[in-house]
Amino acid sequence: MIAIRHVTKYYGEFRVLADCSTEVRKGEVIVICGPSGSGKSTLIKCVNGLEPFQRGEIVVDGVSVGDPKTNLSKLRARVGMVFQHFELFPHMKVLENLMIAQTRVLGRGREAAAEKALQLLERVGLRAHADKYPGALSGGQQQRVAIARALCMDPVCMLFDEPTSALDPEMINEVLDVMVQLAQEGMTMMVVTHEMGFARKVAHRVIFMDQGRIVEDDETECFFSTPRSERAQQFLSKILPR
Amino acid sequence: MSYEFDWSSIPNAAPFLLRGMLVSLEITAVAVLTGIVWGTALALMRLSGIPPLAALAAGYVTLFRAVPLVMVLLWFFLIVPQFLQELLNLGRAADMRLVSAMVGFALFEAAYYSEIIRAGIQSVPRGQIAAAYALGMTHWQAMRLVVLPQAFRNMVPLLLTQAIILFQDTSLVYVSALTDFFGAAYKIGERDGTIVEMLLFGGAVYFVLCYAASQLVRYLQRRLAV
Repeated sequence: MIAIRHVTKYYGEFRVLADCSTEVRKGEVIVICGPSGSGKSTLIKCVNGLEPFQRGEIVVDGVSVGDPKTNLSKLRARVGMVFQHFELFPHMKVLENLMIAQTRVLGRGREAAAEKALQLLERVGLRAHADKYPGALSGGQQQRVAIARALCMDPVCMLFDEPTSALDPEMINEVLDVMVQLAQEGMTMMVVTHEMGFARKVAHRVIFMDQGRIVEDDETECFFSTPRSERAQQFLSKILPR
Repeated sequence: MSYEFDWSSIPNAAPFLLRGMLVSLEITAVAVLTGIVWGTALALMRLSGIPPLAALAAGYVTLFRAVPLVMVLLWFFLIVPQFLQELLNLGRAADMRLVSAMVGFALFEAAYYSEIIRAGIQSVPRGQIAAAYALGMTHWQAMRLVVLPQAFRNMVPLLLTQAIILFQDTSLVYVSALTDFFGAAYKIGERDGTIVEMLLFGGAVYFVLCYAASQLVRYLQRRLAV
């Protein structure tokens, strides 16, 4: 579904990604972790072309992201993304947030779009909030709306960029629950997160990044029981409860 | 030493003054609306990331901001009427002063509006554009549906403040002898020998209108802040 091959990216002189390669099969859930500044957010933003990269190749569902001939808007319409800071559109009501791309990008009729939106709001438990503005919702609720908004586009895969790190602790689980459910339904997901409980529960593989490199790319069990690199061992010992 | 004020010209000349006020308001309205539309276009060009467009917009803004408004108006009084008369084949008699004043103000104000609008666009968090892109929107859709509505909401007070300044500046059309409110007051004062009274009265009217408008801006600022 997603193939990342030898991707290298520079910000000016600074190399943010160094020769990153991995593969995500259909229905697979991949968790990416690592210290801040290790390039994990940058890597998943390269997957839907929000960040350009200089070398290598990324192919999503048969479409090459780096190819200048690729219509990126068309590709992005099929790849859902959830951001750290939710990024709901504050000037639109929740329902309108879920409808705007359906109508303007996919060309769906307003009625069909509204029906789809309400169905997904129901699924994340927020149907009653359809007529509110995002500012009236809690962080956890906003993030669930953001997930529903991405799902409205019937994406072939979902990218999550630290979806819980801007949330108060008591709201993290309501968002993770939605994500777990999504994973169990077979959605292909790439998730940048430090929620190791989530990784243990649903991830098929865990990728550990450090200084722009993929240091470990292992089955979840192996990653937690016998991390190969010293860097990953240190990282795990710091964030996992003893 | 005492000065006997003579306010009698005002009631007699009320219709004339009112017509002048309409001219002032007309110029202001046209210049604000066209200025905002053209200013938005300039701001979008400037932020487009396409070098020739960005340079063109930057050059335009720099030019108009570096020249006194009075001179811009004079250019337009002297050049535009002749040009338009040739172009549209109008008779020499047609009075182009109002149109050229409107064009001059609109083009001049657009430079200032574009800077306000550019700041407004940049005040919308970059994550909003990323989210719009991630949903499959094109650059233009992201601007129109997501960025500009938020930018304008943030900018309303500044745009109105600029409109108030513009309204005051319309008095500069006196260089073309076009009779706006200030021109009308001045002419009546000259005719009746009551210049001092008419200038005081004119100033008071500008003050009342602008003060009321700026109070409205403050009210909007408080409402939008919520």
